Amino acid sequence: MTPTIPWSPNSFTPADPAYFKVKLTTWAVAWGLVLLASLVPGVLLATGVKVAPWLAIIPAALVLVIALLVLRILRRQVQALGYLEREEDFVVRSGVMWRKQLVIPYGRMQYVEVNSGPVERRYGLCQLTLNTAGAGATAHVYGLPEAQGQALRERLVAAGEEKML
Amino acid sequence: MSQDEHWQRVHPASPFVRGWLAIVGLLYIYWQNTDELSLAERFAGDRLIWTVALAGAALLVVLVFYFLSWYFTRYKLTSSHVYVNSGTIFRSQKQARIDKVQGIDIAQPLLARLLGLAELRFDVADSSESLLRLAFLSKADAHALRQLILQRAAGQAASEQPATAVEAAGEAAPLMAKVPATRLLASLFLQLPVVIGTLACVAIVILWLSGVQGIIAAVLPILLSFGGWFYKQLNQGWNYTASASDTGMRISYGLADTRQHSIPAGRVQAISVTAPLLWRLLGWYKVEVNVLGTKSDDLDNLQVLPVGDFESVARIMGILLPDLGIGNQREVLSTAVSTGYEHGFTGSPSRARALSPGAWKHQGFLATGTTVISRYGWLARTASFVLHARVQGTEFRQGPWEQKRQLAGVRLYCAGGNIIGYLHQVDAQVAAEFTLAQAARQVER
Repeated sequence: MTPTIPWSPNSFTPADPAYFKVKLTTWAVAWGLVLLASLVPGVLLATGVKVAPWLAIIPAALVLVIALLVLRILRRQVQALGYLEREEDFVVRSGVMWRKQLVIPYGRMQYVEVNSGPVERRYGLCQLTLNTAGAGATAHVYGLPEAQGQALRERLVAAGEEKML
Repeated sequence: MSQDEHWQRVHPASPFVRGWLAIVGLLYIYWQNTDELSLAERFAGDRLIWTVALAGAALLVVLVFYFLSWYFTRYKLTSSHVYVNSGTIFRSQKQARIDKVQGIDIAQPLLARLLGLAELRFDVADSSESLLRLAFLSKADAHALRQLILQRAAGQAASEQPATAVEAAGEAAPLMAKVPATRLLASLFLQLPVVIGTLACVAIVILWLSGVQGIIAAVLPILLSFGGWFYKQLNQGWNYTASASDTGMRISYGLADTRQHSIPAGRVQAISVTAPLLWRLLGWYKVEVNVLGTKSDDLDNLQVLPVGDFESVARIMGILLPDLGIGNQREVLSTAVSTGYEHGFTGSPSRARALSPGAWKHQGFLATGTTVISRYGWLARTASFVLHARVQGTEFRQGPWEQKRQLAGVRLYCAGGNIIGYLHQVDAQVAAEFTLAQAARQVER
C-alpha cells in the first residue's frame, strides 16, 4: 500500500522519553496557574463576597476538564516528536491531531541553536532549532539528551557547509 | 573616474526637508503662548523688538544646527565603495561595497518632491542591519549617481559573470503596466473590506443622523485605521508604472511620496497572483512578490501590480519568471490564475467539498520543471508561484478532519515575505508523494 504520509513515523529518531516529564512539569505549572485563577470566585464566595454561585463552579470545572484532556494526549504528543537525518535534508515531525512533517535541505540552513530551559536541564535535555531565511521553515527538535543535541548540531553545521547552495 | 573620488556634500536644503517640523514647532509654541494678543499687539512697541530678537535667535540656532548637519553629511564614491558620513555629535560612517549593491531606490517625500530633491536608498546584499541612505540630492543628480553606481556594479559583476548587463537608464524602457487612477479607485472600492467598511460608514452616518450621538466617538478609531489602510493602498497604486529593465523590472508609484524600486528578477523568491471576489467579474488581478532586501521599511509583500488585466500579468510574469518550466506558458498561466485542470493541474478530490465548499473546485497545483504553481483561497483566489530552488522548507500537514477524509496539505515556505506555496486539501497520497518528490527537487543543483 502506498503511504499517505511522506516518511514513516518509525524511521524517525524519537524524543527522549524523559521529555514527557518536562512536558508534564510545564503542564502542571501552566494549568495550575489557570486553575488558581479560576478558583478566585469560589474563594470570594467562601469569604462572604456576593458572587453568583455558577461563577464559582463552572470555570473551575471547565479548566479541570480541559487540563485533563490535554494531559491525556500529552504522552502521545511526545511520542509523535522525532527527527530524521537524510542525505540531503533534515526532517522533523510533530503533532497527533494536526500531523506535520517539515523537510529542510541542509543547504538552506542559516544557523542552528541549542537551548535548554531550567526544567529541561534538570532532566539533562535540550532543544535544537534550525533556522532558514523563510519565516515558516524553522525546524524544532525537542527532548534531545544534551550530548546528542551537541553532536546533532555539529553534524548539521558540517552538512550545511558542505551542501551550501 | 577620479573626479568622484573626493568627498561631496548633499543638497543644502536637505536639513530643512528633514527638519522642517522644528520650525513649524517653534512657530506653534510661539502662537500658543501669545494667543491672548492680537496681531497688532504682537508687532508694536517694545514687544516688536523682543519678538524680532527672539525670532532671530531661534532662527539662528535652527540654522546653525541645519548648517552643522549639512556640513557633516558627506558622501564619496570610489571605484569599489560608496561612503556616507553623517552626524554632528554622534558621527556615523557607513559604506557599501558597490559589487554588493543589488538595487538603488529613489524616494521622494512630499516636501523633497516640491523642492525637486530625491533620496537614494541602497539595497546591499550582505548587510541586514541598517540601510544605507543618502539624502538629499537634486533629482537629476540622484538619477545620475544611481546610474553611475549601477553601471559600476554591473561592470564589476561582469568580470565574474559575463551574462550581467548594465541596467538601462530608464530611457525607452519598455512599459509593462500602468494603472490609471480611475481603475485604481474602482479596484479599491471593489474589495470586500472596503465594501463592508463603506457600508458600515453609511450605517453609522444614518444612525448618527437619527439621533444616536455617541456612535461617532465609538467608531472613530476604526475609521482612522481603515482610512490609514485605504490611504496606503491608494499611495502604493497611485500613478503606478512598471517597466522592464535588463536585470528585472522597475516600478514607480506614489501619491504624496513617490518611490522608485528596482526589482532584480534573480532576487524574487515567490510570486502571487490574487483575484478578490468582485475583481473576478472584471478579470482583474493583483501581483505581489516576496523579494529579499528592497522593502526595507515594511514586512508586507511587495506589490508589483496593484491592479491589472491578464495581459499585464502575463507581461510581468514573463519578466520575473521567464522560465515556467513547461511548454505553452501562456495557457498554463491562464489556467493557473483561473480554474480548471488542463495542462496537468491536480485538484482537490470531491471529498474536500464538505471542508471548503466554496474553494474546492478552485484548489489545485502543478509542479513543473522549475516551479510549483498552487491555487487556493475562497473569496480572494490566489495562485502562487514558487521556484524549487527558492523553497526554504516543505511541510506536509494533516488535520483531524483531513485525516478522516484522506486529504492533506503541503506548504512551501519562502524567504522575503509571507507568500507561500500552498497545496490545500489534496488527496493524502498525492500530497505525500509530492512532498517526497519536492524534497528531491529542492536539493537539485
